[in-house]
Amino acid sequence: MARMKFLCDSERCIECNGCVTACKNENEVPWGVNRRRVVTLGDGLPGEKSVSVACMHCSDAPCMAVCPVDCFYHTDEGVVLHDKDMCIGCGYCFYACPFGAPQYPQSGAFGQRGKMDKCTFCAGGPEVDHSEEEFKKYGRNRLAEGKLPLCAEMCSTKALLGGDGDVVSDIFRDRALKRGKGGEMWGWGSAYGKPEPGTKKPEVKS
Amino acid sequence: MKQLKSNSWLWACLLAACALVLASAHAADAPAPPAQIQAQAQKPGVTPAHNAEATWREVRAGTPGVTTVRGTETGVLVSPDGNTWRQIRHGPVTFYGSLLVILVIVAIALFHSRKGMLRLSEKPTGRTLVRFSNWERSVHWLVAISFVCLALTGGNMLLGKYVLMPVIGHTLFSWLAGMGKFIHNFLGVVFSVGAVLMLATFYKDNIWHPSDAEWIRKAGGLVSREHVPSRRFNFGEKIWFWLGVGLFGLVMIASGLSLLFPNLYETRHAMQTAEVIHSIAATLIFCMSLGHIYLGTIGVEGAYQSIRTGSVDETWAKEHHQLWYDEQVQKKLGKGA
Amino acid sequence: MSKFAIALLITVFGLSACGDKEGVVVYKQGSYSGKTDGKPWENAAFAGDKSKWDNSIRARGQNQNESKRIGD
Repeated sequence: MARMKFLCDSERCIECNGCVTACKNENEVPWGVNRRRVVTLGDGLPGEKSVSVACMHCSDAPCMAVCPVDCFYHTDEGVVLHDKDMCIGCGYCFYACPFGAPQYPQSGAFGQRGKMDKCTFCAGGPEVDHSEEEFKKYGRNRLAEGKLPLCAEMCSTKALLGGDGDVVSDIFRDRALKRGKGGEMWGWGSAYGKPEPGTKKPEVKS
Repeated sequence: MKQLKSNSWLWACLLAACALVLASAHAADAPAPPAQIQAQAQKPGVTPAHNAEATWREVRAGTPGVTTVRGTETGVLVSPDGNTWRQIRHGPVTFYGSLLVILVIVAIALFHSRKGMLRLSEKPTGRTLVRFSNWERSVHWLVAISFVCLALTGGNMLLGKYVLMPVIGHTLFSWLAGMGKFIHNFLGVVFSVGAVLMLATFYKDNIWHPSDAEWIRKAGGLVSREHVPSRRFNFGEKIWFWLGVGLFGLVMIASGLSLLFPNLYETRHAMQTAEVIHSIAATLIFCMSLGHIYLGTIGVEGAYQSIRTGSVDETWAKEHHQLWYDEQVQKKLGKGA
Repeated sequence: MSKFAIALLITVFGLSACGDKEGVVVYKQGSYSGKTDGKPWENAAFAGDKSKWDNSIRARGQNQNESKRIGD
């Protein structure tokens, strides 16, 4: 059984925000909601890194644990989805999520939270596949068309990978091996990084 | 109720707490780039050795990056405090909170079964004194009714998943919780206004008086069933007023209002903190209210009528609030003369 | 005696491997009981053919592997 995962290769992401735009267009998300965003670390400095982030479809999903009405479920593909008819817009999943994935369109007189909206891994929701209802509430169900999320499929540098976790990790492992050892290897910077300016070399006793 | 699953969660909590401390320590220079990258930037011409660990450590600690997506904290890639909030709310707050409520209910039930209703020892005279004006009663019931609705709908948010949902099912429960959230949001504002009016209306009669010392010494005669003379409100009522309405009420209002307007661009951390404070204060104020409701209904004969109709029998006044009774009699005599 | 002790040690050491937990991810389910969601292959496009859907997803997944798609 496929376990759906996203992986963003920060060595490749060029912060083009194509995934963000593609997601909005494909799913026609509510106003003010961004299911996906690109975050740049150390922007404008040498060694800056960009990462595209959305719902990571956790195995032990905090949103699912804290939901007071239990509107979340895992599909057999490991995608975390929710029933918008049950959602009460309390905001607890937003508090609990480390990635800031759950978002709310504003509704009502005082800008109250509407029904929560988040990345569905382009898998729609608990409505009849490809129905008007499903598209309106959850966006496109590409998975039921045998396709992967558009953000990953259209990524120009193939930084954002999506799909079966095994396939995605194989692709990434291949890629990392071909790039060879170096700065991107875990622990390389700590082991061989240059000393901080101003620090003295330890004196060798003769 | 979710218990801490294993030590790893504890470590995660500790780490998150450390990260929070670190993050707040660096809050002042938050927009500045991470130290590692700064160090690299200081050496122009040298190809920076990308230090993946340093970068990801910053990410894990919740250091914000740059993003084109507008909104609060959209630059934060991984926010570490969500898990801390989840552990606190679904651990001690839920567990000890519900335990405390159950203990208080059991204690009141035991007390009532042992002592029964506190009845008047003398016959009612038939002459009545005005104890609460129309305004005072209106304020009381505004606060009381909104409080009960808030307590039920709020308690449902915290415990309904464990208590009500298994009984009535998911669909009905989610509809009920949705209505509850709506009611909670709007009545919260009503309660806030009512509580402020209540503080303004009753504060004069709740100021410390030397006779309260005796009340404390005799524990209000709650157990001994002794009548301790008091003025309009005894010290127990004063505790409820200042601690229940004054302290916890205002804490509830402040934390509640900040949760009511999610579009005020608050950080998640602020909302998580407000939520935990709101739940803890709610549990405490609810336990206190159980005592107040008990004494105001089946605990003391004639107490409910006093707030319902506004007037009390002279015997009741003499037995429960003797100093107040004396004052009233003095006033009447003064007027008559 | 010493042989017995060594045998015991080896047995204990060997048995300790049984305490090893499987590293397989277990999806923690909430107690969701809302509308049931159909399988992604139970629709007009796949007519319930799971292997056809699997193949399609796998092919799409491999499309992301440019070193296979266009060669190194």
